[in-house]
Amino acid sequence: MTETTRSTNLSQPIDDLDGAVVSPSDIGERLWRFFISMRTGLALILALVVLGLIGTLLVQAPVGLQADAQAYAAWIDSVRPKYGGWTGAFDMLGLFSVFNSIWFRGITVLLMTSVLACSVNRAPHLWKQATKPRTRMSDAFFDHAPLALATTTAARPEAAAEAVAATLRGRRFRTLVEGAGDTINVYADKNRWGPFGTVVAHLSLVVILTGALIGTAFGFRNEGLAVAVGSTADVGNETGLTVEARRFVDSYYPNGSPSDYASDLIVYRDGREVGAATVRVNEPMTVDGVTFYQSFFGPAASIRITGQDGDVVFDQGVPLQFGYGDGSRVAGQIVLADAGLTAYVVAPASGEVDPAIRPGQVQFEVYETATMADPVAVQTLSQGQAADVAGLDVTFVREHQYTGLIVARDPGAPFIWLGCFLLIAGTAVVFFFPSRRVWALVRPDRAGTSTVQVAAIVRHDVGFGAEFERMGEEIRVTIKSPPADEGKGTV
Amino acid sequence: MFKLSEYSFLAGVITVALAFGCYLLAFMSVAVTRRRSSFAGAGAGGGNISIGAEAGGTGLGTYGTLFTYLALTFLTAALIFRALATGHGPFANMYEFSIAFAWGTLAMFAYFEHRYHQRVLGLIALPIALALLLYATTVPAQFDPLVPALQNNLLLSVHVAVAIVAYGTFAVAFAAAVLYLLQTDAGRRGLPRRELLDEISYKAVMIGFPFLTLTIVLGAVWANVAWGRYWGWDPKETASLVTWLIYGAYLHARVVRGWRGERAAYLLLLGFTAVLFTYFGNLFFGGLHSYSGLNGN
Ligand code: HEM
Repeated sequence: MTETTRSTNLSQPIDDLDGAVVSPSDIGERLWRFFISMRTGLALILALVVLGLIGTLLVQAPVGLQADAQAYAAWIDSVRPKYGGWTGAFDMLGLFSVFNSIWFRGITVLLMTSVLACSVNRAPHLWKQATKPRTRMSDAFFDHAPLALATTTAARPEAAAEAVAATLRGRRFRTLVEGAGDTINVYADKNRWGPFGTVVAHLSLVVILTGALIGTAFGFRNEGLAVAVGSTADVGNETGLTVEARRFVDSYYPNGSPSDYASDLIVYRDGREVGAATVRVNEPMTVDGVTFYQSFFGPAASIRITGQDGDVVFDQGVPLQFGYGDGSRVAGQIVLADAGLTAYVVAPASGEVDPAIRPGQVQFEVYETATMADPVAVQTLSQGQAADVAGLDVTFVREHQYTGLIVARDPGAPFIWLGCFLLIAGTAVVFFFPSRRVWALVRPDRAGTSTVQVAAIVRHDVGFGAEFERMGEEIRVTIKSPPADEGKGTV
Repeated sequence: MFKLSEYSFLAGVITVALAFGCYLLAFMSVAVTRRRSSFAGAGAGGGNISIGAEAGGTGLGTYGTLFTYLALTFLTAALIFRALATGHGPFANMYEFSIAFAWGTLAMFAYFEHRYHQRVLGLIALPIALALLLYATTVPAQFDPLVPALQNNLLLSVHVAVAIVAYGTFAVAFAAAVLYLLQTDAGRRGLPRRELLDEISYKAVMIGFPFLTLTIVLGAVWANVAWGRYWGWDPKETASLVTWLIYGAYLHARVVRGWRGERAAYLLLLGFTAVLFTYFGNLFFGGLHSYSGLNGN
């Protein structure tokens, strides 16, 4: 409140020219009010609902596709028949990647600001309510509270107040009894820390978002690390790890549907083994914070290349993981950096019959890495036979499989799980341990009896109304027959 | 076991239909009695009515409740027998999940009926359960072995168990919201008071919201274990987030002036629509949750 007065004073015009100026603190105040308003919060949540609906109803472009302008344009063309004249507008508004759009980011930031502001705004109040509750209420409160009852008893005020407090304690309330002369105030509360559940739930959202940001900024995720069985591949992404696939097994049920995909993996750092496990779907392996997941598999070709001087320049399984040409072929890539050459190993896709490449054969295409123009040489290789391709001695050693891994490191994940835990714990506390506060006022009246008034505020909870009524009944019964010795009233 | 499961399922369908029939007849007879009595000038009374309590001694409402419990027992048996036969929880196909969803709706209705004695909620909650069960009869009941991605029995069983509690409470909240909108502030037509309906909705969402949160989190845990990412904006994930946001909005709308009351009730209708959309979403949007298993290259 004092804040308000001060800022009003500050924004008082000093002279006529200042009249039109809105002071910074006034703007700050307005912003603050905007962000702590539940109406704002509600509007922001509903705005996210709308964006989420767009995200489910409109086809979304594959993640990361926008980085490749050509591929993205092709993708837009592929959805054009579906959305017709709207396609361009949707694209311009970013609706084909809603969750990367300025709208989504902006609203998320506003929502988080609002959530933070609400929490900061409410926490001191809740803290005070829990630690230094207001134990006395005005007469008007007892007369007009949404839940209120009044009764009289023959007992002395202390005894009556103690009876009220005992009833409340029996219902697992904490009670504070304060006497001032003959007038006694009883304050009782239950789950007084419960309201902090909302603060925890709100802050947990910020924790989750922080986790997501950390993951994006400092993590990586490679969805397509193919490792031929018997070969190794660099994990890259500054992990310094290499992974070797010792074995890959795909198993099937009698009805032909897959039952298991399993890869025996060994992970090395600087040539030293640092981890080994059989990785399956749902059973990843984590080494130094980097996690390996089973994801896909396919054919591989073992290729050995010997240079002109007789040195072996390449001897590895090559995963044939790329679709090639019209999709009826698959290919893998070999980069011979020293020779400035790039080679493709091409085979028919599974189930395709290719007149040019028969079973037991692959096609070997060599390009200049610098130009990648027309191939320098193209040759079909039969398994086990060495051939001379563009001056290289190339052997297609054998067919294999490769295992396709997702490799990811997400330093934000602990924050995500912490945030999720806090979110669930916070909401559960709010709802399953609702805070309750009851006030009672006991005072002597002229007839030598005591008047007892009990009141509570209902926060949109009719259920507590019923409990309050039962409690009232109990209080009426107890104060009629307070414990005899206390009834004598030694102050 | 399969046969036992199917028989229990059929018995469940029939008893749910019977329970609904009883409630419907009871409600109609109450309505008729009420009209007559109001004709006779005996006050129409703002109705905090439990069907059956005053249904001209028919006791139909009581039978409705008994049939509800019976149906719940049959469906529980159907789910248990099926789990024993398949060796996993009801998460592998729409047949299993529909029965589970219907079970959740019935169970939550039974709980709220027990607590608030508002059988009239059954007029809306039971048809939802019945529709889900009838839908289950139209999809293949056969049991296919689990593809690798679904081989996480414990996590997925808990995920689904938590989800059906959430969905069941949202069905109850939906039922109460519909009645709320049919009811007037003055309280006519033999429906429960608006305040009470509002409370039932709120209590239902109070249970449902943390459970939905847990459902989504467990889904994220599964996605993380199976695919190395806790969130990927696949349509099913997004739809469940939208559902969650709608119920989150409801919780706040309830304490915002101008939003509490009817608008909040509309949010509950929207929320349950989102639940159904998320649920049936499998049928029209692809993604990992289409249970295609490994989406290999
Ligand atoms: C998606 C975002 C949000 C979630 C999941 C969330 C969650 C919750 C939950 C679970 C409650 C307890 C509700 C109850 O007691 O019935 C709550 C209460 C509250 N929320 Fe949020 N909230 C969100 C956003 C916001 C925002 C943006 C604001 C501020 C504008 C806000 C302000 C409040 C306040 C003031 C309460 C206490 C309401 C009362 O008096 O009962 N919330 N929130």
